[in-house]
Amino acid sequence: MQNNVIVSCEHLMRSFTSKDMGINHVLREINLQLNQGDFVVLIGPSGCGKSTLLNIIAGFDKPTGGTVMVRGAPVRGPGPDKAMVFQDYALLPWLNARENVEIGLRLQGVGTRERRCIADEFLRLVGLGHAAERPVYKLSGGMQQRVSIARALALKPTVLLMDEPFGALDAFQRAIMHKELVQIWKTTNASIIFVTHSLEEALFLGNRVVAMTPGAVGLTGEISIDLPRPRDPMSLEFTALKRKLFDMITAHIPDRTETFVE
Amino acid sequence: MGTDSKAVRTPASASRVGPAMGQFLGTLRETSIGLVVPGLFILVWWIAVAAGVFPEAVLPSPLAVGRALVEWAFGARDAGPYSGTLIDGIAASGQRVLVGYSIASILGVLIGVPTGFFPLVGKLLDPLIHLLRPIPVTAWVPLSLIFFGFGFKGAVFLVAFGSFFPIVVNTIEGVRGANRMLVKVGGMLGASKFELLRSFILPASLPAIFVGLRLGIGLAWVLVIVAELMSVKAGIGYTLLDAYSFNRYDVVIAAMIMLGLMGFFSDRIIVGIQRVLLRWHQEVSIHAE
Ligand SMILES: Nc1ncnc2c1ncn2[C@@H]1O[C@H](COP(=O)(O)OP(=O)(O)OP(=O)(O)O)[C@@H](O)[C@H]1O
Ligand SMILES: [Mg+2]
Repeated sequence: MQNNVIVSCEHLMRSFTSKDMGINHVLREINLQLNQGDFVVLIGPSGCGKSTLLNIIAGFDKPTGGTVMVRGAPVRGPGPDKAMVFQDYALLPWLNARENVEIGLRLQGVGTRERRCIADEFLRLVGLGHAAERPVYKLSGGMQQRVSIARALALKPTVLLMDEPFGALDAFQRAIMHKELVQIWKTTNASIIFVTHSLEEALFLGNRVVAMTPGAVGLTGEISIDLPRPRDPMSLEFTALKRKLFDMITAHIPDRTETFVE
Repeated sequence: MGTDSKAVRTPASASRVGPAMGQFLGTLRETSIGLVVPGLFILVWWIAVAAGVFPEAVLPSPLAVGRALVEWAFGARDAGPYSGTLIDGIAASGQRVLVGYSIASILGVLIGVPTGFFPLVGKLLDPLIHLLRPIPVTAWVPLSLIFFGFGFKGAVFLVAFGSFFPIVVNTIEGVRGANRMLVKVGGMLGASKFELLRSFILPASLPAIFVGLRLGIGLAWVLVIVAELMSVKAGIGYTLLDAYSFNRYDVVIAAMIMLGLMGFFSDRIIVGIQRVLLRWHQEVSIHAE
């Protein structure tokens, strides 16, 4: 196996069994490979299994078939090598911004002074150098999500997993966060899997956009995005890609399921 | 809109006095509003007694109760049986509450946390807790007399046993309800089981634990009085019973007032601790509105 392979999913299956509904095959034959420095965006209508896939990679959930490897080792459970940024931030409200970033480092056994240094460094990276002492409940949603990103990055994770991290933000905050995330990705050379159901977000952020549809066997398709950054969502190339991605997903959506793509 | 701009402007009175002074006046105003109804109540009571609706021997006037309270607290020249014994009574009852309630709090949290967190411990202890809880604590009085006698120990047992249940039950609920998201985050950050409990679950369940602690302190006062009415020969509750048997209704009412005050102040102490520890929680609930 090559050295720069970060995540590889092979023949991944996940089904849920319930008494009244029978077996619900959410993921079937998913093959996905993430290389070092990749910014992969998973997109697809609600219910297609994006979160399920991300949770399996993070180690929060187990597949019913197939394998997931991170840096060549099978995933056995959650851990700091697979840092997740949650949609609702999931910060500890009784701590301030710095302590929220520090706690993961403390659990890794990093010393007091060093972890303070690291925490401040990453808070500065996400533009919160001035707010380190602020209790997180006093921060706006956008600022809380920055703390959550700083917390994840401070773990120096092998892969950064983001499940609709900007879903709760307004359009303006989201646009700012998009620019900053691209900047962070460039400076830290992070490998990212980012989940969304917004076409624009996917095309603005990713260098690879991977499409999923509900009930499908395998991934629906993939587009590599070579547009220069920062990308202009109004440009002709961008809108053309948007059309292509939209058609790719809707062509595979079975009519009877209620689905929604922004 | 004209009305809007007026509403935004600071009221003149607030801008003349400093913010600290303004806050003080605000608190004063609220406190005095809070005193209106109790004041009216005392007034009605006074008039009822003065008009002879109840004979003085059955319902003493507020003034008589006040006099009894002062004599009880500070003594008097024509020293009656209760004269100057208030402080001893407070010490006796307070000590029982303090010891019993402390035992209940420590055991309630120490037992509640693992019961809520570890499914196996939960399965083992849940049935016992839920079978014992519906038995009114007063039903334990005979057993407590047999095992702990009529003194301090018996009273402490009743207080501890009774206030233990709301504390343990709320702790269990708090730990179980602590966001499943926290377990995920803890796992991602590499927390061990112990760290997960200490740094994530326990702080998150503190609001629920404090609900239990406040219910517990209320019950502790009820039970110390039960103990003193039934067996123990000292304390405010005992004075209440004793005064009743000597037809000293002024002292009875004075004792009731003292019990109310002590219950109120011990609750305030817990609320004060809660305010400091759970600043984040109050703010979060305010933000949610
Ligand atoms: N724990 C579970 N038990 C049973 N079914 C589940 C469970 N988790 C997810 N599912 C089912 O799996 C399917 C995919 O869910 P998932 O949350 O992965 O979708 P998603 O693509 O992330 O959707 P969204 O965009 O709305 O977040 C859904 O049909 C859901 O009902
Ligand atoms: Mg999802």
